[in-house]
Amino acid sequence: MTSARLRGLPAAAALLCAGLVLAACGGGAGQQAGTGGGAPVEGGTASFAQPAGSTPNWILPLGVPGRTASFNQSIRDALWPPVLSYTAESGKLGLDVKGSLATAAPAWSADGRTATITLGGQSWSDGKPVTSRDVEFWFNLIKANTSGWTSYVKGNFPDNVTAFTTVDDKSFSMTFDQAYNQQWAEANQISLMYAMPQHAWDKDSDAGPVGDLDRDPAGAQRVWTYLTGQASSLDTYATNPLWKVVDGPFTLDAFSTTGRVTLKKNPAYTGPDAAHLDTVDLLPFTSEDAAFNAVLAGDVDYGYLPIASLAQKPRVEGLKYRVQNWDGWAINFAPYNFNDATAGPLFRQDYVRQAIQRSVDQDGISKVIWKGTAVPTYGPVPQQPAGDSLSDAQKTNLYPFDTAAAQAQLTGHGWQPGADGIVVCARPGTGADQCGDGIAAGTRLQFEMYSQSGSSETDAMMQELQSSLAKAGIAMTIRTAPLNTVLADTKPCAPGAACGWQASFFGARGAWYLNPYPLTDRQFSTPGTGNFGSYSNPETDSLELAARVSNDPSAMQAVSRQLATDLPGMWLPEPVYQVSAIKQDLQGVSQDPQAVIHPQRWYRTK
Amino acid sequence: MTRYVAGRLLQAVVVVLIVTVIVFALLHSLPGGPARAILGIDATPAQMADFNHQQGFDQPLVVQYLQYLGRLLHGDLGRSFALNQDVSAVVTQRLPKTLLLTGVSTLVAMAVAVPLGVWQAVRRNRAGDYVVTALTFLAYSTPAFFLAFLAILLFSQAIPLFPAQAPQADTLAGILAEPAALVLPVATGAVTAIASFSRYMRSSTLDNLAEDYVRTARAKGTVERRVIWRHVGRNSLTPVITMLGYHIPVLFGGALVTESIFNYPGMGLAFWNAAQVSDYPVLLGVVLVIATATVIGSLLADLLQALIDPRVRGAHR
Repeated sequence: MTSARLRGLPAAAALLCAGLVLAACGGGAGQQAGTGGGAPVEGGTASFAQPAGSTPNWILPLGVPGRTASFNQSIRDALWPPVLSYTAESGKLGLDVKGSLATAAPAWSADGRTATITLGGQSWSDGKPVTSRDVEFWFNLIKANTSGWTSYVKGNFPDNVTAFTTVDDKSFSMTFDQAYNQQWAEANQISLMYAMPQHAWDKDSDAGPVGDLDRDPAGAQRVWTYLTGQASSLDTYATNPLWKVVDGPFTLDAFSTTGRVTLKKNPAYTGPDAAHLDTVDLLPFTSEDAAFNAVLAGDVDYGYLPIASLAQKPRVEGLKYRVQNWDGWAINFAPYNFNDATAGPLFRQDYVRQAIQRSVDQDGISKVIWKGTAVPTYGPVPQQPAGDSLSDAQKTNLYPFDTAAAQAQLTGHGWQPGADGIVVCARPGTGADQCGDGIAAGTRLQFEMYSQSGSSETDAMMQELQSSLAKAGIAMTIRTAPLNTVLADTKPCAPGAACGWQASFFGARGAWYLNPYPLTDRQFSTPGTGNFGSYSNPETDSLELAARVSNDPSAMQAVSRQLATDLPGMWLPEPVYQVSAIKQDLQGVSQDPQAVIHPQRWYRTK
Repeated sequence: MTRYVAGRLLQAVVVVLIVTVIVFALLHSLPGGPARAILGIDATPAQMADFNHQQGFDQPLVVQYLQYLGRLLHGDLGRSFALNQDVSAVVTQRLPKTLLLTGVSTLVAMAVAVPLGVWQAVRRNRAGDYVVTALTFLAYSTPAFFLAFLAILLFSQAIPLFPAQAPQADTLAGILAEPAALVLPVATGAVTAIASFSRYMRSSTLDNLAEDYVRTARAKGTVERRVIWRHVGRNSLTPVITMLGYHIPVLFGGALVTESIFNYPGMGLAFWNAAQVSDYPVLLGVVLVIATATVIGSLLADLLQALIDPRVRGAHR
């Protein structure tokens, strides 16, 4: 399951996928945005600017739809670390044992169906040990409340777990219904799991006794209702006794309903990832400009620059900040609507999609329009940080910008430029040098791009696309609407219908944030719920399935190669999550491409 | 007068109800809807259907409205999808902050604009009048966001006199404890209002200076200061008070630009953010507050005029 999220918009799956939301980071692979310089100092305080207009609204390790924004995840993971944590600190997005409850990657049985996980020796803040029972508690609640769990996809976790077995206090195993790709199972399924303090939370009312309610589905539903109800009272987050029992490196000291959150170092933390700082303040901002003003005033240690203010980078650096892009583990593309009655027959032609892609100057758009804050995307695997899933084919742009080559490709298939330069089908038919199935003589090669409004970079990018496509003989008209409207309208439609959209763009602030294992079956497999354009290719379906069930490390590369070649949509630059401004004396900062922070690793220097 | 006030209050209730009907219908006819916006691009069709069912969006619009009205009569403004808070809590939290900012801005504006308008009228068509007129036109035509940026650039960054952020406390006491941080946002809000109110005051004063009663007062030997401030000034306030009445919705509606740039989350920003994600309960709640403020403001303006102007008072008897 892929999670995605737009900056300022909660993205449902983001939570589970660990991926999500806006993206940002610059620098590249798991870049350590703060290494070196000065002697480390224990203690102290740091402040972090949250995304503009976004305020945390959920901390419970039971994700519910609409509450999965990455800033929620950052707080949650600081209080209750996941069983398996993923970061890119090593340069590649991979398992981060230090931040995990588990002591190592799961041990798999010979048949590849059973994963055994051993927990470290962590304790809850009330002194009780973290045990397998606490993970079972979480699992039981999810199992009994799948419809309310945001990460639920029918057939996936927990449906695909046939048995949860407690081995001992520190170990448990899970048996899956079949052998899956272990990377996928670990990074996209087991990584969803948490330990929750069963000895304190397994009840259905404030005054109710703590018991084993979770072991009965009806009881688990009551506990779920109780806990999610408690989590709906934001104003009690800092005082509710439930949330005082944590096993993470921080405790929640203050939580304002306006979005200001204060984390304090957990003195009872017993794991390997203890916080260096005493206090971390997460500050809300009403706009990017307000956040930038705070940077200029030195009021925030870890802030960001609006793209429009990038020219002030030297000034910010002069204020003892380092300015770095924060790349996201994300891909960006404008899906084609293959079922649209008018444009569908055009998009179904491989050569048309290739000609369109050859007309996209991703390098130029990234450098000029996005001012270096976007990364070209050539396929379904995030380009940065480059991981094992990235195929060689996707690393090298298969369709480099060349409008002359694009037009030659079109004329080679029976299109001829009209009076206005836009090509018209002159040789209808299904032959190798003809326009293709469903395209009548005289058809103009044109489509409409339905694009989100409100982003000057996106507007400029669309204008540039329109211009370069026209050079190749392709007419692209532009229709804009607010993001919410574009998202709602961009949905699958019946074959041959007038769908209301032909191509759609909604990635001005980051589009699809992916799980650590970047499977994209939701977006590109025929039945995928995120396959808005009804793209369908049996070979792609087969490869996506193989990437899920096969342990062959090259399986995901095959998907990468297939979709970089087949072009299910128009690949477009992926904007960074943000352009960060980090105080020079704040070190240990890893700009996690999953758009989450790990403040326990931050430290001051002098 | 009592019957008049009661009648106006009844009208106010009807007007607010009509506003809720119109806004409710408009909101629900907007393309998009909240499910995708709230749940995100990853949401499955099943999750969106479940969300719509839970919120009652799968029911006829009339039923939805009646349910909303029923909750409203019980004092329940609904719950924000996006903020995970009751709308009443959002309004309770933000309205005082907004009123503080807009109220102080308006008071400052009035304190400057009234004497300024009178001063200009008395010195009409002289150099001072021309200069102030030019400045007020400039202030009136300057966009608030530009003014805010200019203020921050000059008085926070170039000359660090005041913070670039408004007070970040959640309580009024906390906000008032940082008066320096209030200066720039208050000034930004006040400048345009000063320009507007002073023009009205100048114009009204000019009209009154030409009235017979002024000539009579002068002929009777009343000192000029008394003529201006006791007679002309009071009579000239009538249009300004009317303006002030209609300004009340602005006080309650917040100042989006000021709130946005100075990091001061108030009503204006709540409405704007809610509009981005079709957070209907917040949108309806804010509109309800503003609609109520509008009709009450209008009523207060009429009553104030009655207090000031005996002719109006007589008409209401």
